[in-house]
Amino acid sequence: MTGQLRAELLKQRSTQTTLFLFLAMFGLVAFAVAMHVVALGAESISTRSDQLAVFQVGTRAGMLFAGLVGAIAITAEIRYGTIRPTFLVTPRRGTVIAAKLAVSAVVGIIFGLLAEGVMVAAATVAFAARGIDNQLSGDYLQLLAGGAAAAALWAAIGVGVGALVRNQVGAVVGLCVWMLLVESTSESFVPGVGRLMPGGAGLSLAGNVDELSAAVAALLLVLYAAATSAAGWLATLSRDIA
Amino acid sequence: MSEQSRSVHELVEPSGREAVLRCRGLTKRYGEFAAVDGITFSLERGTITGFLGPNGAGKTTTLRLLLGLAEPTAGDAHVFGRRYRELDQPVRRVGAVLESGDFHPARNGRDHLRALALAAGLPLGRVEDVLELVELSAAAKRRVKTYSLGMRQRLGLAAALLGDPELLILDEPANGLDPAGVRWLRTFLQTFAARGRTVLVSSHLLAEVAQTVDQVLIIHHGRLLASGRLDELTHDRRSLEDVYLELTAGEAS
Repeated sequence: MTGQLRAELLKQRSTQTTLFLFLAMFGLVAFAVAMHVVALGAESISTRSDQLAVFQVGTRAGMLFAGLVGAIAITAEIRYGTIRPTFLVTPRRGTVIAAKLAVSAVVGIIFGLLAEGVMVAAATVAFAARGIDNQLSGDYLQLLAGGAAAAALWAAIGVGVGALVRNQVGAVVGLCVWMLLVESTSESFVPGVGRLMPGGAGLSLAGNVDELSAAVAALLLVLYAAATSAAGWLATLSRDIA
Repeated sequence: MSEQSRSVHELVEPSGREAVLRCRGLTKRYGEFAAVDGITFSLERGTITGFLGPNGAGKTTTLRLLLGLAEPTAGDAHVFGRRYRELDQPVRRVGAVLESGDFHPARNGRDHLRALALAAGLPLGRVEDVLELVELSAAAKRRVKTYSLGMRQRLGLAAALLGDPELLILDEPANGLDPAGVRWLRTFLQTFAARGRTVLVSSHLLAEVAQTVDQVLIIHHGRLLASGRLDELTHDRRSLEDVYLELTAGEAS
């Protein structure tokens, strides 16, 4: 299993995909900080809950990009055919999926920490520059830890979705549409449902919203991650490789 | 088995010897369509077997079934007495290349091999050994997207050789090789077999096959039309091409 983990880690490091995803996430978060903290009037970002809500972008970006890392870990192999040598070396396919889940979750933690870290650092500087009282210093720990945990679980969801969908463009577009369209629409129009979705639960886990307790949110996300990765696992075991 | 088969003698191993590779009634159906239809054959140690047939005859599907990438609808395929997916360290017994393009274009040749070696639990020194063997050491740091088709073929072969296997299964390995590369591959395979190892190689290049292999399997529409020693199939001064075209034309739908 150590060899499998090292192999998956090398696959992550040896193309520029992970770096590209990281830069895209960094750009998105930096842009969002600029839009929110600089453009919004001081009165709409003065309370603690307003400030936490503004920080949602970091959590969302961490979850989405971690999901993409997981999805691409499996769909890139299918797209480029490396899945064949991979499964010839390791015909017990479950081992490969397990290693992908573990390595993607670790990369997801890093992505979650970076996304929240960039958000926190930039917003803190911007608050100070505008003379807005920063209400959040007590929330940093939950933002970072919860955001990292949510991103790790989204990475597992990404592996599961990727293994089920198999088509790389389909999986990437599907995850983006889910996070950027389905989640935010539901949270706006049917908040009772939206808060229970994987993205909504992640926001509660990181403390951006306080719709669910952190424990319930964590449990929900673990269930989503377990269900999607189990489905992807079973599909990978039973389907033929083209 | 086809009743029209000529010189179908199933290469049944003498008792007491483990066949390197054996399939019995191997069948793969997609709905009504039988891509592979009841194929039975076995390979003897130390031989090179050419696996011939027109495009879409079922060659690649057969190889995928042998290698556990696809599940047969009926029948079975065993390598060294077990299903591929049940082998403990398959790369130490079987090396296979199914398509010449199974690489991430942005990954370099060395990292491609290292990822496989790590997963197989092989020492990373093997990566340098096989790079040298296929003469790719100088290009190992380059991304695969800069490789020519011939270089990709050799990188695929390098991956198959990582575990120093006893059986090599190659799908169209000569595609894209220049004349020097073709000769290199032929010499390599003959040396490999001369050391008591076994090769199964699919190909369209009948003239090349005729120079390299000991025995042939000819399939068409998923069925095995002929199998046997090359010299037995091509007696009476008939070329392999004559035999092949006669068999596959007779079966045309």
